[in-house]
Amino acid sequence: MLSFLGRSLIQKLVTLFFVSVVSFLVIKLAPGQPSQIDPLNPKFTPEIVERIRKVYHLDQPLHVQYLLYYKDLFTGKVVSWRDERPVLGKIWERFLNSLPLFIVGTLLTWTFSFPVGIRSAIHRDGWYDKSTTLISYFLISIPGFFFAYILIILVVTKLNVPVIDMQTFGVTSASPLVHFMDRLWHLVLPSVLGATGGIAVLSRYVRSQMLEIIGQDYVRTAKAKGLDEDRVYYRHALRNALLPFVTMFGMILPGLIGGSVIIESIFSWPGMGRLAYEAILGRDYPVILTINFISAVLVLAGTLVSDLLYMVVDPRIRLE
Amino acid sequence: MQTSNDIVLSVENLQVHFHGEGPVAKAVDGIDYQIRGQQTVCIVGESGCGKTVTALAVMGLLPQPPAQIAAGAIYFRGQSLLEMSPAELRAVRGRGIAMVFQEPMTSLNPVFTIGDQISEMIRTHEPVSASDAARRVLQLLDDVGIPDPARRIKDYPHQLSGGQRQRVMIAMALACEPDLIIADEPTTALDVTVQAQILKLLRDLQARKKMAIQYITHDLGVVAAIADQVYVMYAGVIAEQGTTDHIFKNAAHPYTRALLAALPTRNKRGLRLYSIPGSVPHPAYKPKGCPFHPRCELRQPSCMEDFPQLCDFGKGHLVRCPITFADRGAGKQRLT
Repeated sequence: MLSFLGRSLIQKLVTLFFVSVVSFLVIKLAPGQPSQIDPLNPKFTPEIVERIRKVYHLDQPLHVQYLLYYKDLFTGKVVSWRDERPVLGKIWERFLNSLPLFIVGTLLTWTFSFPVGIRSAIHRDGWYDKSTTLISYFLISIPGFFFAYILIILVVTKLNVPVIDMQTFGVTSASPLVHFMDRLWHLVLPSVLGATGGIAVLSRYVRSQMLEIIGQDYVRTAKAKGLDEDRVYYRHALRNALLPFVTMFGMILPGLIGGSVIIESIFSWPGMGRLAYEAILGRDYPVILTINFISAVLVLAGTLVSDLLYMVVDPRIRLE
Repeated sequence: MQTSNDIVLSVENLQVHFHGEGPVAKAVDGIDYQIRGQQTVCIVGESGCGKTVTALAVMGLLPQPPAQIAAGAIYFRGQSLLEMSPAELRAVRGRGIAMVFQEPMTSLNPVFTIGDQISEMIRTHEPVSASDAARRVLQLLDDVGIPDPARRIKDYPHQLSGGQRQRVMIAMALACEPDLIIADEPTTALDVTVQAQILKLLRDLQARKKMAIQYITHDLGVVAAIADQVYVMYAGVIAEQGTTDHIFKNAAHPYTRALLAALPTRNKRGLRLYSIPGSVPHPAYKPKGCPFHPRCELRQPSCMEDFPQLCDFGKGHLVRCPITFADRGAGKQRLT
């Protein structure tokens, strides 16, 4: 167990190193340069461009740039080229904005997908299964931005739920309760939208996984023992059907830093997705690289969590 | 003389159809058999002859659809299983009739310990405490010859060998002391030496626990070892039935005789074993007349037209072959 952890950590550190190199190179290879973000702007004289290049070490060889950046990152001194603010502070601020969206969206996805998928599998080809299949494929195939606008029109005109930004402008002067409720209402539509696609996909996944397990010999054995259906399906079948989702559970960790560009843009939500998107457009390398690096760390941490969880839930797996 | 009270299981004119694409597959096409208390009844036949489907129908484990019990009745201790409510049926499963499946490697749930799985059987049917159940599990594991049960009780199925897993399945089947155990080719997936051990175990346990066994197999060697009564199935019907003695000494149906001819025995050492040409017809595409006629060496024109009835050879020996019935006594035709 300890040796597994040690080996796994070393492997992940090596992976992280390669990720850092590759992501650095990919960004350098991308067309456009930070110093030439607006070449038609008369203020960007050659002298200023030269100065920018010097200040941001863009005149140095690549490996030096690489080292300088990661030195800054690990000492916490890395700053955005756009506004000279510390990148970690900027990310933290946006992260806190995205967090409620992520938590509510994930909770909705995971709490709805499982009951829907399991029920569909148990009553395979029944009306419930057929109607959820239809709805799932509808939700999977409809473009998110289009669906979002339809929902916005419906919600704003019929339910009077506020939708744009994280809170209504000026609400901070109202009482704390009103403020809190306002923020909650703002959260509803974007997180529901973020979850619908997830529910549609994940519930299909749960259904097919559950169907496969229901066909297993040991489920027949459970029935032959005279157990009632609930015990057969929710104890004997479900425990096995859940195993692959444990892996997926580790994989949601990177979602913490990812955010959703489309939903955040539609709802003017100042979250992580938009930060990354704007940083890419502005060639703000330190922000892009830092978000990349944190994502990589979270992906690797997620796989480790998955491995450990797998060992807990599946007695056949021993990590050595 | 046995009284009718002594009949544990009675299957009457059971017909199981499978509906899918193409014509209806009549996997079981009208079979009758009885099992009396403490009797061992063997149902013998090739793969696809309907013997497992029959067992699953008795247990109520056929997936419906695609399967459909088209006709017939199944009585367990005089009560009709097909008319029971799901709750009544659950009370019979495990407690009245228990089943041991063919595949020990996949028939135990991989995420629960074997102790859990056996005690679950006990606690489903009897109001006993967890500690009492655990004590009984230890005793059961000991009964089926698992060494060091106190340690093994916490093992997961993947930690046991195939033979041990089948012993665990048998322990589970025995847990509530059922009147009948249906064993569906329990030794087919095991090594020959382990097969012999499991057979002996079943025989010993049957004598001790006084239960009936319906043993499903394709192996006549196994039949000779354990059966009191034999039913030979072919293409969803019973081709021949009788006591083990009758079947082995006076087999009349050409199919049974071909099976016996294909059995390796000591005096056939060095000779090429007989094999029956062709294979069992698909249940959806059975030939007209006697289903065995395309493979039969005694085939007459009438065999291709009329479905044969069971002919009574006396003393409970019934054979679905009018050709051999007409010839009985007049010197037996020999098969190669």
